[in-house]
Amino acid sequence: MESAVIENTKPAMKKRKTISDGKYAILLIAPAMVIILFFALVPLFYATSVSFRHADLTMGGLQGWVGLDNYRTVLHETKFWSTVKTTLEFTFFAIIVEMTLGIFIAFLIYGATWGKGWIRSLVILPLAMAPAVTGLFWRYLYDTQFGVFNYFISALGLPWHPNWLGDIKLGMISLIIFDTWLWVPFVALIVLAGLQSLPKEPFEAAELDGASTFQVLRTLTAPMLAPVLTLVFILRTIDLLRLYDSVATLTRSGPGDTTETMTYYLYRQGLVFFRMDYASTMALLFMFAVIVASGFALRPLLSRLAKRAGAR
Amino acid sequence: MKGNFWKLMCFLIVTVMVISGCGTKATTAPETAAPATTAPETTTCNDADRVPITWSTIAGFYTDAMTSIVKDFEAENCVKVTIVGIDNAQLYDKQIIEAVGETGAYDVYNIETAEKAGFAENGYILPMDDYIAANPDKVAYDDIAPVLADITTKYKGHIWGLPYYTYTQGQFFRQDLFDDPTEQAAFKAKYGYDLKPPETWQQVTDIAEFFTRKAGENLKGVPLTKDFYGIGLMAGPYQEIQDELSGMILYKGTDWLGSDGSILVKDEGNLWALKWYVEKLLPFAPPAALTVTYDGVMNQMQDCQIAMTANFFLDQWPNAANTDNTCPGAKMGIGVGIEKTTYIGAFLMGVSSSSKHPKEAMDFVAYMAGKAAQTKFASMGGSTTRVSVLTDPQFNTAESWWKTGHFAYLLKVFENMKDAKSNLFYSPYGAKLYNAMGLIYHQAAVGEKTPEVVLKELYDTFVNICGGDVCTVNK
Amino acid sequence: MLQQKESKAFVILRYTIIALILVAILFPIVWLILTSFKPAEDIMVSPPHFFFKPTLDNYIYALQKANFLMFIKNTLLVAIISTTFVVVLSSLAAYSFARYNPGGGNVLFFILTTKMFPAIAVVLPYFLIFKEIGNTGIGNFLQIGLDKPGALIISYTMFNLPFAIWLMVSFFQDIPRELEDSARLDGYNRLQVLRKVVLPLAMPGIAVTAIFCLIFAWNEFLFAYVLTRDAARTITVGVESFFTLRGILWGPVAAAATISVVPMLIFVLILQRYMVRGLTFGAVRG
Repeated sequence: MESAVIENTKPAMKKRKTISDGKYAILLIAPAMVIILFFALVPLFYATSVSFRHADLTMGGLQGWVGLDNYRTVLHETKFWSTVKTTLEFTFFAIIVEMTLGIFIAFLIYGATWGKGWIRSLVILPLAMAPAVTGLFWRYLYDTQFGVFNYFISALGLPWHPNWLGDIKLGMISLIIFDTWLWVPFVALIVLAGLQSLPKEPFEAAELDGASTFQVLRTLTAPMLAPVLTLVFILRTIDLLRLYDSVATLTRSGPGDTTETMTYYLYRQGLVFFRMDYASTMALLFMFAVIVASGFALRPLLSRLAKRAGAR
Repeated sequence: MKGNFWKLMCFLIVTVMVISGCGTKATTAPETAAPATTAPETTTCNDADRVPITWSTIAGFYTDAMTSIVKDFEAENCVKVTIVGIDNAQLYDKQIIEAVGETGAYDVYNIETAEKAGFAENGYILPMDDYIAANPDKVAYDDIAPVLADITTKYKGHIWGLPYYTYTQGQFFRQDLFDDPTEQAAFKAKYGYDLKPPETWQQVTDIAEFFTRKAGENLKGVPLTKDFYGIGLMAGPYQEIQDELSGMILYKGTDWLGSDGSILVKDEGNLWALKWYVEKLLPFAPPAALTVTYDGVMNQMQDCQIAMTANFFLDQWPNAANTDNTCPGAKMGIGVGIEKTTYIGAFLMGVSSSSKHPKEAMDFVAYMAGKAAQTKFASMGGSTTRVSVLTDPQFNTAESWWKTGHFAYLLKVFENMKDAKSNLFYSPYGAKLYNAMGLIYHQAAVGEKTPEVVLKELYDTFVNICGGDVCTVNK
Repeated sequence: MLQQKESKAFVILRYTIIALILVAILFPIVWLILTSFKPAEDIMVSPPHFFFKPTLDNYIYALQKANFLMFIKNTLLVAIISTTFVVVLSSLAAYSFARYNPGGGNVLFFILTTKMFPAIAVVLPYFLIFKEIGNTGIGNFLQIGLDKPGALIISYTMFNLPFAIWLMVSFFQDIPRELEDSARLDGYNRLQVLRKVVLPLAMPGIAVTAIFCLIFAWNEFLFAYVLTRDAARTITVGVESFFTLRGILWGPVAAAATISVVPMLIFVLILQRYMVRGLTFGAVRG
């Protein structure tokens, strides 16, 4: 689209040659990409190179090339696969709970006529508090001797004395509850923002046409909200797969190793045992797995993006 | 509206920059000794000339005591010491990262007994032999409890630092329960021998079983308002579970590693220890035992929930002693540990090999571990490593019982354990092996796997870490 | 969804459920704040003490003895600056992706993949990179290096960019193209269209992104712990100084956490207003 003619109608503008849309687009993403390229690729290359070498930081540091040995070692380790299984289990249940509750709460707040601002600010508090403290504090809340949860349960007269963090059957559930508490606000607020960005006209038109709430939901809200929902789903899933903070502060992979996620195991390999080679290897394997999996999930999203961008 | 947003952001940024600009160079205020302008100066030394030394140590660590002791050091030396407090769980990692990166950020490290060999082997710390030979009175090396000096400072024939705080284990228990006539009679009737603080593991089990009662049952003739448990254990996913097990393992005449480096973790003695722990001790501990470490046990004791600990860190005595205040009728007693075999160890201060001021750093280490500093430290309740301070009469009075009552017992433990030193402390793999054990033992404690399976897994982990079935031990 | 007139019963039901959810979400936080006012002997007790004599000792300890103000200041600096960078850079980039999609979907996909790499594996390279930069003249001048705020600012900008870009792309996409096109026809150039038309409409998205970037920077632990030692320590690292050898000091921990959540609350309250759909919508036409 030639814009030279239009430029001339704004006398205050300097007369300059306009650049093409393509170059303009690249200019806009340039600053962000510079940072991302440098601070993502350089460490990535470093980590990749470490994964092909022997690297035990407390025993001589970075050493020579070992080819694919690290990969073989990691892939043959049963421990690695059991942490992968734990991670997948956790992610599966947690994402369902978090998305459902998050969407529900978003709609709940959206429909509220009063106090939205306050509710929003309060709802974000779990996430806004230092996770090192909240995780630790929840350990205390879950404590069988000193914790409030069990106190309330017995106060209600229930003959149940759960050992939230000590019972191998409950450990994963306790972790999911904690993570949900932390992250449902995230889901809810983003979906809420999405709801509030929706243009009003289609809905006004639908009301004039006499459509029922359910019809509106199905034909208007859902499709228009879909990109945001998909995005939140993907972001949360990636973060759940990478779960480290909650495990480090709340369960430390306990009870037993029932909550030992892959990244916590990775962390121990890298920063407790200082086997940077194994840590890098696992990280790369993890990344490739997630890329492949999300490639499938993201394809519809990306093609929709391309379509909307391409349509001019 | 958008304009306002950016204005707001700019305003906030400028404000923050102004605030940060106006502050002094950031210090960890009270943890750093301020330039000693008010203390009587015995050297004429300008602040600008002071050699900077950074000491990385455990956070919140007797902050007041350390600050004032450091001030004393600064008064006599032209040095400025910055204390960086780091949470114990991260201390090892952080120091290693800085050591590997050779940043010279920390001049003096805080090293655990199990970590010493690794630091030395990797060349991260400097040997202090020459310094000690040149400054015999300053260091007074022989005054350090001999068994501590051996396991915490010696490796491959050199001395690698000086110990300044010991967490050697003994035992704490509710003396009032053992003195109660009702309980004594009931116990004798049930078990056939007199009730007194336990000396064998069988006695520990009997007594723990005896005192485990539900709310409503009587304790010392009075009904309980909440459940009571015979023993408190550190069975959570932390490193302390192996400290609890270590005394049991050593009692059986075995160890984690042989003196030739062979891996012994699944031998009979080790199996007995783990099984006894899981089957004969844990059932009498609160459910929370599976989730806590030493501070949890101390909280339980202070809240009238447990009758005794297993082998436990004597440096926690001030916490244990507080039970007399928090639990009506309680009177705490101290023991030397079951079968007189417990876990001994201390923190030592070592000088970084990438330090830019090694001489001053060594002076600092010598001072902090020296008699004057250790005495002051002890007066504030710190568990000192020097025999002369442990035997100092001022710390063995009725008044100082609450803070230093454990000193006499520390001496006894050192005497009892003088020949038994775990080989783990002489292996460069020590730190990693030590860091690996806790989570694995914990799996047996929660019943996720049987002791046999767990020990097999532990064995495999050891092999993994040591790169073979021998973990070098260099005594 | 329209704000239809709801029946009274429905409104009551809605607010009841909201109240219950708020109770569930806020109970641990309220308990934490209560703990911060409890004297030590009322904290680790069973059964829990709901009534006690409040004290400010924990706050005094946190602020004075533990020098918590410095941690808060450091964290504020790092969080605000990195968030500003992120918001600016990501808005531009996200707009470009939404409208022009440079690189097909590939560049965008690549950006997301950077999020998939577990941070622990890059901790060492980051440590080394900043160590080197910190030794140079520029690094010193810009305060970039180990134990300097610049290192954390750059790191957090890097972490939050992918998330911010992706989040904002979807918000930008929701803005009808017709608005931009009609503004172009009215004579505005591309940058002006972006500034005057698009950004105001994308405010809810930008505000939400800003809030989360602030929170993530505020709460980040791993890199704060590795890249700082003393002077540049943040709240999350500083809180750990209450985990002492004599046990965890619950009172001061709770006080520190309460203090550190206040700035966050203020930010969220400020950014609230921008989360409502812009009033300039519709003003561009005619």
